[in-house]
Amino acid sequence: MEKNSLQEENLTPTKEQKFWMYRNMLVSRFLEESIEQIYLEGKKPVFNMAAGPIPGEMHLSNGQEPCAVGVCAHLQPFDVVTATHRPHHIAVAKGVNLNKMVAEIFGKSTGLSGGRGGHMHIFDADVNFACSGIIGQGMGPAVGAALSRKMQGKEGVGVAFIGEGAVNQGAFHEAMNLAAVWKLPFITIIEDNQWGISVAKSESTAVPDNSVRAQAYGIPGYQVRDNDTYEIFRVAGEAIERARKGGGPSLIEIETYRLAGHFMGDAEGYRPPGELDGLKAKDPINVMRARLGSEEGLTDEQNDRIVAEARATVDAAVNFARESAYPSPEEALEKVFV
Amino acid sequence: MAVAVNIPTNLWEEDSEAVITSWLVSDGGTVTEGQLVAEIMVEKVQHEVRAPASGTITISQPAEAVVAKGAEIGSIA
Amino acid sequence: MNEQVTTVAANERRLTIARAMAEAIAQEMRTDPSVFVMGEDIAKLGGVFGNTRGLLEEFGNERVRDTPISETAFMGAAVGAASDGMRPVVELMFVDFFGVCFDAIYNSAAKNAYFSGGNVKVPMVLMTSTGGGYCDAGQHSQCLYATFAHLPGMKVITPSNAYDAKGLMTSAIRDNNPVIYMFHKGLQGMGWLGTEPGATVHVPEEAYEIPFGKAAIVREGSDVSIVAVGMGVHHSLKAAAKLAEEGVSAEVIDLRTLVPLDRDTVFNSVAKTGRLIVVDEDYKSYGVTGEIIATIAERDVSILKASPQRVAYPDIPIPFTRPMEQFALPNPDKIISAYHNLKRARTWRWL
Repeated sequence: MEKNSLQEENLTPTKEQKFWMYRNMLVSRFLEESIEQIYLEGKKPVFNMAAGPIPGEMHLSNGQEPCAVGVCAHLQPFDVVTATHRPHHIAVAKGVNLNKMVAEIFGKSTGLSGGRGGHMHIFDADVNFACSGIIGQGMGPAVGAALSRKMQGKEGVGVAFIGEGAVNQGAFHEAMNLAAVWKLPFITIIEDNQWGISVAKSESTAVPDNSVRAQAYGIPGYQVRDNDTYEIFRVAGEAIERARKGGGPSLIEIETYRLAGHFMGDAEGYRPPGELDGLKAKDPINVMRARLGSEEGLTDEQNDRIVAEARATVDAAVNFARESAYPSPEEALEKVFV
Repeated sequence: MAVAVNIPTNLWEEDSEAVITSWLVSDGGTVTEGQLVAEIMVEKVQHEVRAPASGTITISQPAEAVVAKGAEIGSIA
Repeated sequence: MNEQVTTVAANERRLTIARAMAEAIAQEMRTDPSVFVMGEDIAKLGGVFGNTRGLLEEFGNERVRDTPISETAFMGAAVGAASDGMRPVVELMFVDFFGVCFDAIYNSAAKNAYFSGGNVKVPMVLMTSTGGGYCDAGQHSQCLYATFAHLPGMKVITPSNAYDAKGLMTSAIRDNNPVIYMFHKGLQGMGWLGTEPGATVHVPEEAYEIPFGKAAIVREGSDVSIVAVGMGVHHSLKAAAKLAEEGVSAEVIDLRTLVPLDRDTVFNSVAKTGRLIVVDEDYKSYGVTGEIIATIAERDVSILKASPQRVAYPDIPIPFTRPMEQFALPNPDKIISAYHNLKRARTWRWL
């Protein structure tokens, strides 16, 4: 089967969809920037991961926003998404309750899981979003959700977001084959940010373009280069439509970039000098702003308003989280079983 | 003549402070020149501090102390 | 803690557990060309937890290999290489990840010597990080000692300090059996994680072994035996120091290895003190604490003056938020409470 067997339709975002994507990219980015600042509270001058209002690990998605908005622009709350330890941009685009999500990241009782999950274990059943800290773990469940919808004759697709490192996990192979052999409404989105902690993709993965793996499962595969939001939108749109119509699974790899380290605290000594500066010059949010300017006549004044709204949304969520109470310690013993 | 054990000035660029995360010798211990004597951390990066001379080391800044670039944390006599 | 650290040694050099592990591995690699290291981020990065620092520079990328995120494959490969004359030291970055590769470990590495009547050996060391306390949540904070110790065919090591860490690693590499080396993140010496300073102790420069199955009495006492591994040893020592202020003399035993388990040292201690507290950061039920208590009960329950107490993690997934996690973790105060519970308990005599 040909690699690019998705039809070359002229699937471009409408004006509404463009602004939807832009707004979500802004909220997503402002969220990550806020978290980055707050995360460092209490962690200077001694960087102790356990300290401060947001303790533990933190994996930020700055730069990877196009992957989230380009795909989720085609999804409804009833569609099922699983994500990774770097979930915030996808959660935002999927419509996860932002206040409760940020409260969860702060470990407050008003969080989505009452503080039990934290940043790597965000579950929002209302919009069918879940994520996990184990590489590749989201593949099986997204396939299972697709199976469930097919068996029940209900609408909805299953979408698993993974990193390029996860492609080398057995779970990836098994889930892909299962989805293909049962012809399930399932899409894998590979966010290829080039790095698995300190190991470059070229050192860990036998092929430079993971979309070729789709051939092993007899399904369409596509690679999007250069973090292009509109191209992601087009390719994801076709794949999701195909799945909804009973055409089975697809595999999409997106070449994207993480502008921050693997996790907060990552000294990134493994990155070649100059790589980061080159990436910042291509910030997808700036690219989107420019596109909206030239295509939809977005003025600076209008943009300022959109930016201010996005900031306000994030600030409100952060304030909600800060002002919420911590759970009482003994609540740790609850919710083991339902 | 005592030789100062200082936080090196060439390990990082900004003026950030460091924290001594571990002393790997004891106060009053014998050290040899070049021996690893302490680990420090600047923001998220761990660095090594080595003895500039041989002799007996006196520690002036304890573990978990926050110190500036170039600060003296001990001396060897 | 042990004979090494009672006075300031003239040539004292302390190491963090991270450095001690790396030093042991390097020393073995210098003398034995069949030893090699593989795992995620263990080469250039020197390991997320610092335990392979310097190895790539000294030995190159043939013998120090970063792997893809493919635990099933490289654990299986470790078994195969070990069966073929190599001595792999392979890292499972977080013990919590065992789920993606456990077959290679418990069904293959652990059983091949037995299945082959001893003809096939699997001399591999699996080193893996354990432990929480810094809000890394339920998939990055577990100890899982019992999960590995319970299944036959693999030795299980749990060092509490750098001196033991180096000696046990050396023994592990030289052992012809699969060894699961479980280090605790909070004892490692990583500045960004916060470290228990008691783990960073003097370590001799030369290579040395510590035999498996020999617990260490790290504090002698007569009123109660406190048995622990890993971080629990440090909690127990702190509790013992506080109990001493109340006039209570606590004996603290560092098991050091779970498989083989030094039941004799534990039994003899409890025979002396009559009281037992077991401390375990792993889940309470079906684990280390039960095993130690069963050891006493089945040998001679009459040596007990009171029912043994367990200070262990509750049977819950590890919660993220700080108040919940701190509530669940063992700590010195809980050990002290356990002692007072022991005293309150009705004593009984064997009839």
